[in-house]
Amino acid sequence: MNCRTAELPNCRIESNRKPGWRSACFALALLVCATPLLAQEQAANAGAPIAIRGGKVMTITHGTIPNGVVVMENGKITAAGPAASTPVPANARVIDATGMTVYPGIIDAESHLGLQEIGSDQMTSDLAEPSDEIMPHMHVYDAFHAETELIPVTRLNGITNAVVAPAEADTLPGQDSFIQLAGRDRDEMILVRDIALPVNVSGQQRRGGGGAGGGGGPRFPSTRMGVASQLRQTLLDAQDYMRRAANPQAAAGSDQAGEGQRAHGGSGGGGFHRDLKMEALIPYLRGERPVILSAQTSNEVLTAMSIAREFNLKVVLNHMERADDILDTIAAYKVPVIVGSIWTLPETGDRYDAEYRLPAELVKRGVKIAFASYSDTHNARNLPYAAGYSVAYGLPYEEAMKALTINPAEMFGVADKLGSLDPGKTANVVIANGDPLDVKTDVKHVFIAGREIPLVNRQTELRDEYWPKK
Amino acid sequence: MTPADFGRRFLLLAAVLLGCAATLVAQNEPAHHPMASAMIAADGKTQGPANVAAPHNEFVIRGATVLTGSHGAIQNGSVYVRNGKIVAVGESVNAPASASVIDARGKYVTPGIIDSHSHMALDGDVNELTNPVVPHMMMIDAFDYRDKALYHALAGGVTSALLLHGSGDMIGGQAVVIKLKYGRSRDEMLFPNAPRSIKFASGENPKRVFGSRNQLPSTRMGNFEVMRQALQEGREYMRDWDDYNTKVKNGDKNARPPRRDLRLEALADILRGNLLVQIHCYRSDEMLTEMAIAKEFGYKVRAFHHALEAYKVAPQLAAEGVGIATFSDWWGFKDEAKDAIPWNAVIAMRKGVKVAIKSDSDDFVRRLNQEAAKAIRYGGATEDEALQMITINPAWIMGIDDRTGSLDVGKDADIVIWNGPPLSSYALADKVFIDGDLYFDRSLPGFGLVQFHGTPGVGAATEGFPGDDHEEVH
Repeated sequence: MNCRTAELPNCRIESNRKPGWRSACFALALLVCATPLLAQEQAANAGAPIAIRGGKVMTITHGTIPNGVVVMENGKITAAGPAASTPVPANARVIDATGMTVYPGIIDAESHLGLQEIGSDQMTSDLAEPSDEIMPHMHVYDAFHAETELIPVTRLNGITNAVVAPAEADTLPGQDSFIQLAGRDRDEMILVRDIALPVNVSGQQRRGGGGAGGGGGPRFPSTRMGVASQLRQTLLDAQDYMRRAANPQAAAGSDQAGEGQRAHGGSGGGGFHRDLKMEALIPYLRGERPVILSAQTSNEVLTAMSIAREFNLKVVLNHMERADDILDTIAAYKVPVIVGSIWTLPETGDRYDAEYRLPAELVKRGVKIAFASYSDTHNARNLPYAAGYSVAYGLPYEEAMKALTINPAEMFGVADKLGSLDPGKTANVVIANGDPLDVKTDVKHVFIAGREIPLVNRQTELRDEYWPKK
Repeated sequence: MTPADFGRRFLLLAAVLLGCAATLVAQNEPAHHPMASAMIAADGKTQGPANVAAPHNEFVIRGATVLTGSHGAIQNGSVYVRNGKIVAVGESVNAPASASVIDARGKYVTPGIIDSHSHMALDGDVNELTNPVVPHMMMIDAFDYRDKALYHALAGGVTSALLLHGSGDMIGGQAVVIKLKYGRSRDEMLFPNAPRSIKFASGENPKRVFGSRNQLPSTRMGNFEVMRQALQEGREYMRDWDDYNTKVKNGDKNARPPRRDLRLEALADILRGNLLVQIHCYRSDEMLTEMAIAKEFGYKVRAFHHALEAYKVAPQLAAEGVGIATFSDWWGFKDEAKDAIPWNAVIAMRKGVKVAIKSDSDDFVRRLNQEAAKAIRYGGATEDEALQMITINPAWIMGIDDRTGSLDVGKDADIVIWNGPPLSSYALADKVFIDGDLYFDRSLPGFGLVQFHGTPGVGAATEGFPGDDHEEVH
């Protein structure tokens, strides 16, 4: 069937009445085309094992096998090894991958997938709540839009999983969710509802200040000092809340609670009050989940890390772009780093390739890195090329592949299920006709949780409609 | 023509122009363009010549895979350059022993990359938004030739660029064509005698800018009516001058010249065919409307820029000889970019449209080779076709394809030596030559710059401009 929205008859009728008809048609087209296709495909794939044979298999964790076999069944990888020693089940659907590359699905370490549809249209965005800098009780899963067209576009380039984060506008903008880029509905696509807490100390959280004229924005915090002290106070309050929450009776009876404590679950008289904002921070203060600490420049990294250490937070450094003078210090932190974007423009005084070289410089010092599409959500499909360009600037190829797969899986605590072609892991497998990091390479098959994803989306529908006829 | 001849002709031309300008002032001579100046040549069709000394250089690049951009690849090929021009290209070339030799075994050589849609080095002075029709705004007046964005682009193998106005106005002004001779004077960076281009726009950007002030145009209806109105004014201005010139020619001593009006003069120049018309638009219906208006007023559209829905109306574009300068795979950043598909470039090309991949970005201008390579992946362009999308095709859009954009004898020696196949994720520009002079060499310590001394960006006004449609996504 033809899925071009303009040709759906009821869209034309709508067009005369409602300004939002295009969106309505868009949603309708998705319902009509995408969902049933996927559902049918999933049904067809259920049951028999699938074996990929003859390709170059990048396992990530145990090397690259020139002529390998990958077998998956019931959504899991059951075997990945050399053709000579890896049997193909007799009832398997066999995919000939001769001349192709087989690798685990790519993981985007930070994106806004599902939080944004049309970049310039605020009504299609759920990115952050800038009314307050401290919003850790916001949950990406409450806004995640499973039917976004960005996901079918992104997964066609072999990206199968992503961390979805709120925008960087707030110091604590809310908690990240971890998704797979396919599924029946939202609940099947969100694998971990609250996986990590972004903590942003990158200057962008200053309210109307930005340092011009010595700070002086209209609202606190208008300086980096303000942002840092507010963050410290919040974490202190949360520690306090955590202690009292552990023993609510005592807390309710206590008369020591001060002003701040009343505001955060203290006893303003009466029983213990749950405070969702403070409660949200507890798993992070306990070190049970990582904080994703965004700091772009050297001074920001130093400030952010000193706060993180004061509170024993489990840190993944994020958005690091301009800290090349303290790379050894960063290595000594022994924390992983989500790097860049490497496409950030160099500062005055920097060589043109200052950002491009950063991944290689970090890895040289033993730092575990990952790549992210960040706010460039529509172009998340291009994530492998940032890794490729980093290879051109000295990043070892195997490290670039790890930075797209096992490294982010480890950073976010899902490496037992994702990030490599190992038996027992979720069968997120990609087959491409060449090097996955090269812009020329075409992805030919994508499996998510063992199900083959049809290589169609709204863009391919349009392509097929207008492709030159012989 | 030898380079020495070329230099002499250059000086002669400059002298003639000076003479013309003097005549113009003295007699209001109608045969010469009334806006003739350092920026507009006497014929009214090209930007003025820069006072560039003829380059003195002579070398031969040997042993490289030479991607000519016009006649395929030459394995183990050579390029012989003398005094700024390509003298010979082939498997072997006859270069004198005196020519220095660049050993490029294992390397790849291409024409310099050309970006047909850039806003770099303008310090954000891209939109004079106080009126939707400002065709007399001259980009040269804002060109910040020390901007470090030029350095970053040069390091990505870019040798020429069209610096355009933004897309907030319906008619934003006249562009400037530059060579990325970073380190040279402003006037030395101008592409000598490149055709003049003017920027039109329609759609969401002018709607947003003027609509947010409750001014015309806040709709596409308003967009195009504003255009027609302006062009009509230009038509009447042209008629008044034509009438006057006819009277003068017929010896009418009482003929009084109409008022010289820069804005109307620029509009008249569109109708006279003195300007290459470069139009920002996304949707296919806007392309059809723009072509209809062009037909109504009797001018040609050179290229649609962005043109993300060109694939829907490619036969109509091809029939009119209109090119496109498009993104490789950008989409969804605004409603009018919703139907963008990464196969746009190849579908349009297969249907006969001349296609350039452009940056519209201080970021993407640094890796246009990768952007072009995506045309191989999305639609199966050949390597030649993909390379042409960032060399000879943008050169055509800018009207400089007889001068640069391919490795052919007689063309400007705008050349990049790459460390590997250029259409890939991994290629780095090793050396970049413009008019045969080396401007960038990756192996050099510091900034890798040859002609620029100091710190790129220091002394420049600009902090960079993200592109007329990138601000909405970054």
